[in-house]
Amino acid sequence: MDLDFTEEQQMLREMVRGMCAEYAPLDVVRAMEDDPTGCPAEFWKQLGELDLLGLTIPEEYGGSGQTALEGAIVYAELGRSLAPSPHFVSSVMSAGALVLAGSDEQKRAWLPKIVSGDAILTPAWLEPKGGYGPAGVQLRAVAEGAEYRLTGTKQHVLFARAATRLLVLVRTGDGDEDIALLLVDPQSPGVELTQQLSLASDTQYKVSFDDVRVPATERVGAEGSGWATWDEVMYDGIIMLAAQAMGGAERALEITVQYTKDREQFGKPLGAFQAIAHYLADASTDVDGGMTLVWEAAWARSEGKSVARLAPMAKLFACQTYRDMTAMCVQVWGGVGFTLEYDIQLFFRRAKQLQLSWWDTRHLEELIASDVLDRAEA
Amino acid sequence: MNFEFSEEQYEFLEQVDRFLEENYDPEVMDPSRENMSQLVDTPKRRAFMKKIGQRGWLGMTWPKKYGGSEGEGVYEYLLNERLAGAGCPQIGKGVGIIGKTLIRRGSEKLRQEFLPKILENDIEFAVGYSEPQAGSDAAAMALKAVRDGDGWRLNGQKIFTTSAHFAEWYWFGARTDPDAPKHKGITLFLMPMNAPGLTIQAMATIGEREITNQVFFDDAWVSDEYRVGELNQGFQYISEALDLERFTMFTFAPIQGRVDLLCEYVASEQRDGRPLRQDPVIRQRIAQLVTQTEVARVLGLRFVAKSIKGGAPPTNEASQYKLYATTHSVRVANASMDIGGPATQLRVGMEDAPMNGRADTSYRCTVVETIGGGSSEIQKNIIARRKLGLPKNF
Repeated sequence: MDLDFTEEQQMLREMVRGMCAEYAPLDVVRAMEDDPTGCPAEFWKQLGELDLLGLTIPEEYGGSGQTALEGAIVYAELGRSLAPSPHFVSSVMSAGALVLAGSDEQKRAWLPKIVSGDAILTPAWLEPKGGYGPAGVQLRAVAEGAEYRLTGTKQHVLFARAATRLLVLVRTGDGDEDIALLLVDPQSPGVELTQQLSLASDTQYKVSFDDVRVPATERVGAEGSGWATWDEVMYDGIIMLAAQAMGGAERALEITVQYTKDREQFGKPLGAFQAIAHYLADASTDVDGGMTLVWEAAWARSEGKSVARLAPMAKLFACQTYRDMTAMCVQVWGGVGFTLEYDIQLFFRRAKQLQLSWWDTRHLEELIASDVLDRAEA
Repeated sequence: MNFEFSEEQYEFLEQVDRFLEENYDPEVMDPSRENMSQLVDTPKRRAFMKKIGQRGWLGMTWPKKYGGSEGEGVYEYLLNERLAGAGCPQIGKGVGIIGKTLIRRGSEKLRQEFLPKILENDIEFAVGYSEPQAGSDAAAMALKAVRDGDGWRLNGQKIFTTSAHFAEWYWFGARTDPDAPKHKGITLFLMPMNAPGLTIQAMATIGEREITNQVFFDDAWVSDEYRVGELNQGFQYISEALDLERFTMFTFAPIQGRVDLLCEYVASEQRDGRPLRQDPVIRQRIAQLVTQTEVARVLGLRFVAKSIKGGAPPTNEASQYKLYATTHSVRVANASMDIGGPATQLRVGMEDAPMNGRADTSYRCTVVETIGGGSSEIQKNIIARRKLGLPKNF
């Protein structure tokens, strides 16, 4: 039993924290809100130079081959800083799918470029009327000779304007999991991007496909394996996002605690009122507990243990804590918490969006319940 | 980072499990007594604890000089969790609060008199801090101790002395300096529970089979030799011991046990011919409960991991764990009733009670967990001040 980081992990954490403070301070975060590209160029360059874009990508493709625990450490820092970048969609989700199911040729073509930051890949998954299950994927890919023809609409496609390739989840048949992953050039004829403004002011697009032709060689993995690949990568992804949520929660709590020491009403600091102090004591307990649960999930993943229950628990609890806690923080800040000028709103808006994204509460609860209650059937 | 215990620690757990199997007795191991199962209050339970003592499992962390084995605190944690999970009596009070305070603060005479008996489990203590006007404000205790010969004359009253009706010795705080600030005029004493002038009066509780007590002091007398540590330092000793032992009083394993019981129930039961586990509302509730249960567990591990490292005592971790785990314990009890439905109102022993009647016992007994040992509000004050550095707020 040892819940401390190694010296290397501690150094990694400090390095990322310092880099975020230098290249993505909150004024840069603010400047990137609703931006069509959405990622500060200097920050992206630094992520590449410090080998963070390839952190968990195998060494044979130029990455550092680190474990989910190092990944979570980095993500907690990205969460603290609110630094916007396509790191998650490109280095975690797209690279994860390629590592798991890509052909040698695809891996060699894309992974080194993801690691250097020269290429950005982003998944195109959710659809306007779809949920998080396989039935949510209705965009049709009709096989015709050596190519697919795609028609349909995706939304919440992050950083699509900056992307070199979209990793599109497409439906190839009527069976539940007749789903494939296709690498699609967003410049292809028939692809249209429309930026959509969001609660977190991040950079996301609706992408429509009108009879877009994609060579069959762009399929990642065997026919019919797309959903299984995607599902597996998601378990890694949500551990990172859980860490991101807890990092954000930790910092939102810190700035709020400081505010309650500085701000006075009725002749004493806000923090001297139990009504306020008890909110913060509860929040600090949830944050420390949630953070430890995230480390447990990341540690389990890095040790090759099952995270079928731990990963969804981590994201569920982390995002719930982040959302509830930032709502409480805004209450503590009072009227200025509603203004754009103060920083707490940056956390408040991102927290809710993160909770809804990449498996929401309802989906995560179902995964956990199924793991706990339906085992006899399996 | 490593969330697992060491091989030696797992081996120790196996030894404890074997011991529990070999000594299985439903009267000693009764999880339906909920948090009260920690009491060593029947002859059979005393005999069981004596066997634990013979295994060398009492005083595992004490100095060798006093019969201990100077082991790591994690072994006490592991033992206590296993005992609690099985509904056995536990080691918190004698070995922890009293034994360790005597080792840190007591006179050599008191150490020689009491420590061997604790190791053999030949003695049971009752702890008297609360008084009618001194609950969360424990330093407001007013039990009057006045110098009389080579001892102290005692007049006043204690309340919520849970073990008074079976203990041999009373460990209590009394006001020895009425003029000093309230937390600087309290002294700790030990006296026999059957001393002249002490009257014990039982108080029935909603824990049904479980009682607590009031203790009245009418001109009772205690020798100064049975004063614990320095005069007027009692409140400091009380707080110090509570900080260190809070953890042993509110174990995690029983919460996990009740969650497992509930999950098994949901996985196997039907209502109106339909499996309970197919109800989406119940599935949602179970998912939340098992997640929060894991959070309670890891908050406990933070405490354990910090104690293993040594250094400053993990008092913030203990308060965070106590706050979260006891709140969650109440939540699990409430959910067990909501999910189990109307039949969960049936008590233990009723033929049709679901989950062996545990929904009823836990609904009754968990209430006191967020109150005793420093209420949730007191834990929040501690966290606010010590961890977050906020100003004093009361």
